[in-house]
Amino acid sequence: MIAWHADPGLLHRYATGDVDPSLAASLEAHVQACARCRADIAGCVDDARLALGLDGLLAAIDAPRPGPVESLLRRAGVPEHQARLLAATPSLRLSWLLAIAVALAFAVGTARLARDPSTGVDLFLVVAPLLPLAGVAAAYGPGVDPTYDIGVAAPMHGWRLLLLRSTAVLSSTTFLAGAATLLLPPAGWAVAAWLLPSLALTLGSLALSTVLSPLRSAGAVAAGWLAVVITAFSEQATTALLGPWPQGVAAVVVIAATGVLAVRRAAFDTRGIR
Amino acid sequence: MEVERVADAELLLALAEGDRPALAELYRRHAPWLTLRLQRRCTDPDVVDQVVQDTFLAVWRRPDSYRGSGEVAAWLWGIAVRRLIDAFRRRGARRRLPLFVATSSPSAEELVLLGVEHGDLAGALRRLSPELRAVIQAVVLDGLDHREAGRLLGVPATTVKSRLFRARAQLREELT
Repeated sequence: MIAWHADPGLLHRYATGDVDPSLAASLEAHVQACARCRADIAGCVDDARLALGLDGLLAAIDAPRPGPVESLLRRAGVPEHQARLLAATPSLRLSWLLAIAVALAFAVGTARLARDPSTGVDLFLVVAPLLPLAGVAAAYGPGVDPTYDIGVAAPMHGWRLLLLRSTAVLSSTTFLAGAATLLLPPAGWAVAAWLLPSLALTLGSLALSTVLSPLRSAGAVAAGWLAVVITAFSEQATTALLGPWPQGVAAVVVIAATGVLAVRRAAFDTRGIR
Repeated sequence: MEVERVADAELLLALAEGDRPALAELYRRHAPWLTLRLQRRCTDPDVVDQVVQDTFLAVWRRPDSYRGSGEVAAWLWGIAVRRLIDAFRRRGARRRLPLFVATSSPSAEELVLLGVEHGDLAGALRRLSPELRAVIQAVVLDGLDHREAGRLLGVPATTVKSRLFRARAQLREELT
């Protein structure tokens, strides 16, 4: 087909970058179309380099492909290792997020079907703060995290991993719950009353998990929340939660828990989480 | 040189069935020239090797994106150069394009050779400024659109467009 072929000396000089740009362009156009010159030029590349490349390629074929969450994170600009760590979070799995969505759908459905809309909103306000709490509790620790053992052995602070995952879980769950509040019957600002208590519960549970296991501390905090809500606010939780007192207490808990976490963060490393 | 008994397109068919030796053969045939050609567009050998690997990985995963017409080599280059652009974008790499460093002047033999292939074009190309020549190369030879060429060269697409226009005007003037 093509009668002309580049001579080996010329190809070699091209390979070492020693040809004029327009000649190089001409050669490239030719090499792309000519199997014989492609074979000739192969000799100009280090065999060991090519062998290494082929090994890497065959290994890459066998490597597991990143799941949807991981590729989404990668696309959003999260570095590869952090994306992998986040994607391994049990409470960032699709099944978990779906469960959250279903729970929220039930809460919203109940709120909309309830004879008295404010009761429905109350129910939602009680349930919503518990969802991020559960997510964060299941984000890290023995028993729930399949990569826990690897994480303990890894040269990375458990504290850092915990923060990374908690932030991701907290934001995704809060986003879902936030979206659900838009579907609630109109109740003004009351629908946002769960946000601060939610943060307080999550941080409180994290602070507690420097002493207890994450699941136990989450359970304890959830039980405490339910007890407080049922006894103190059995009437009209909406208005009660919106008041300065409950919100103030929640804010104090947030600040205190943050302080405890900052002071006791070494507990996540030296002792590990029990 | 040895004759390639199995055509590249047949290798791709085998590869679509999960045939690893077919992939290795395709790699053996095409990785060398892709490596060299990428090397003229990116100084970092690690990036080049990664791009070559990404290219063949893409081929392995989606061999059916070859539409069955045209040179397999040209299709491979299309994938490789876009992967290179992705790599630049990911790293924000500025270490690109050793392309236009001045090199030794061509021998008389090479000039004749170029003359045979392109008529007066070689001389005209050589007289273009490096910036204009880079654009011609990216758009005409590498087959990139303006935006992709801009990413490869590290300039906005509008700049690519205007440089291409100027380069064409200069070439036209010299060749007529």
